[in-house]
Amino acid sequence: MNLQYFLQQLVNGICLGGMYALMSVGYSLVYSIMNFSNFAHGGVIMVGAYVGYFALTALHVPFLPAFLLCGLGSGLLAILIERLVYSPLRKRHAPSLYFIISAMGASIFLENFVIATIDGTPRNYPTLFANSISLGGLSLGVDSVLMIIVSAISLLVLMFIIQKTKIGLAIRACSYNEKAGTLMGINSSLVIFVVFLMGGILAGFAGMLYGMRFIVKPTIGQVTNKSFVAAVFGGLGSLPGAIVGSLLLGVMEIFVASFNSNLRDLFVYALLILVLVIKPSGLMGKVVEDKA
Amino acid sequence: MSMLEIRDLNVYYGGIHALKGISLDVEEGQIVSMIGSNGAGKSSMMNAISGIVKYQSGDILYRGEKLPTMANKIVKQGICQVPEGRLIFANLTTYENLYLGAYLRKDKDGIERDLKRVYEIFPRLEERKHQIAGTLSGGEQQMLAMGRGIMSAPDLIMLDEPSLGLAPLLVNTIFETILEIKAMGKTILLVEQNALKALSVADNAYVLEQGRITKSGPGRDLLKDPKIAEAYLGKAAH
Ligand SMILES: Nc1ncnc2c1ncn2[C@@H]1O[C@H](COP(=O)(O)OP(=O)(O)OP(=O)(O)O)[C@@H](O)[C@H]1O
Ligand SMILES: [Mg+2]
Repeated sequence: MNLQYFLQQLVNGICLGGMYALMSVGYSLVYSIMNFSNFAHGGVIMVGAYVGYFALTALHVPFLPAFLLCGLGSGLLAILIERLVYSPLRKRHAPSLYFIISAMGASIFLENFVIATIDGTPRNYPTLFANSISLGGLSLGVDSVLMIIVSAISLLVLMFIIQKTKIGLAIRACSYNEKAGTLMGINSSLVIFVVFLMGGILAGFAGMLYGMRFIVKPTIGQVTNKSFVAAVFGGLGSLPGAIVGSLLLGVMEIFVASFNSNLRDLFVYALLILVLVIKPSGLMGKVVEDKA
Repeated sequence: MSMLEIRDLNVYYGGIHALKGISLDVEEGQIVSMIGSNGAGKSSMMNAISGIVKYQSGDILYRGEKLPTMANKIVKQGICQVPEGRLIFANLTTYENLYLGAYLRKDKDGIERDLKRVYEIFPRLEERKHQIAGTLSGGEQQMLAMGRGIMSAPDLIMLDEPSLGLAPLLVNTIFETILEIKAMGKTILLVEQNALKALSVADNAYVLEQGRITKSGPGRDLLKDPKIAEAYLGKAAH
């Protein structure tokens, strides 16, 4: 393996990892506040990919407006799911298991809703950026560079909101103890709303990037489960963990695939099992036994 | 009209009848103590006032009006609870914890002033303002919980066993602080197992036994009550 090939693959890995990061922070944010894995997130990402597809092919808007529309569409969908599905469960103080089952139900519903209303055929995004930049012997696709840049910016904005703003502080407080947060006057419904909105917007962004790189079909929500693996690997509930876990997973996955592409998914899910068996709190997660 | 009036309050947890029709009054500017043994229902009463436990019947009136049911809105009314077991945010710094106490406040100057005040009362907290609160000692965490309560600038502050598990010297500091908070013009509802101290500082006091109020009166009167001395002050009745 020469250096140039290595660097090329590294960039591919970072590109994939950045996309996983946009997805996995959504899992982590929801987990940190509500202690369950929101498997409807895959469906939200998938719908984002479709919004991007139709924005480009039917509305003929350029990349940036389409990208923002994806964020808007998925953000609204995430909130809608919270209001219609999780909010009633929350009011009843239902156990985590109910949330997970409902989340899976919502995910399957979204998949079939798309099949019923659009169809199940895979679609390709139009080529947006065909050029590539050469950089010290490396040839980088403009789309790859753009993906890394928009992922980085989105994640930095998210980290800023969480670390530096008042609502971010409220989110961190409630992630530790919601009851104590309420005693400070924090409106926990607002915190949950913001968490789903932010996770949803980033899911929409990720959906568009996924569509640009791969393909759009109703089942891509399942493929994006790999970002859940990344969140677990990094430590469910920890944002920095989700980001680091995603980048590592993306890079490792690309290198495993370049060795033998059949091992790609096997590797990812073996990693999931390994983490859960050996170190359930992941790289940086909070230590809780009840990882539902 | 009392600042806080509780009338015939009943709280059930499923089949457990934790509060069996209790009534009490808290006058503005006073310290009202409630003593009672483990499981008597003291925390349940505070949590019902704070809105984090639902009550099945009865009334809680604050300045003559029914309190809202949402916990965050109750804080907005100027009622703040310093909960049992402190419930500090172990993942945040000391400063962030204090700042969260002032979450609903908009008066930047007032927040700064109260922060200074808290640091004056508990210099230890200023030394450790950038430390993650989970790594503070138990006593420091209790100071933080009280400081956080002060930061919310409440009119009524409810302290649930603030001296629990603290060394005698620190218990004194905590009770000095309670008197200081009173001197700031606040009203205090204090729940304690340390009956001697709680009754000594109290203008008025209540005894809660198995969900019922069995005695009430000025703190110093209850201190002299032989039955209370026997049950709560660890002295034999003469
Ligand atoms: N969430 C709950 N579910 C069921 N029972 C509860 C709950 N919270 C309290 N109880 C019960 O209600 C009764 C009163 O509890 P509470 O915590 O109010 O007592 P307390 O006077 O504060 O006791 P302590 O001094 O030990 O803190 C107890 O019997 C307790 O077991
Ligand atoms: Mg208690």
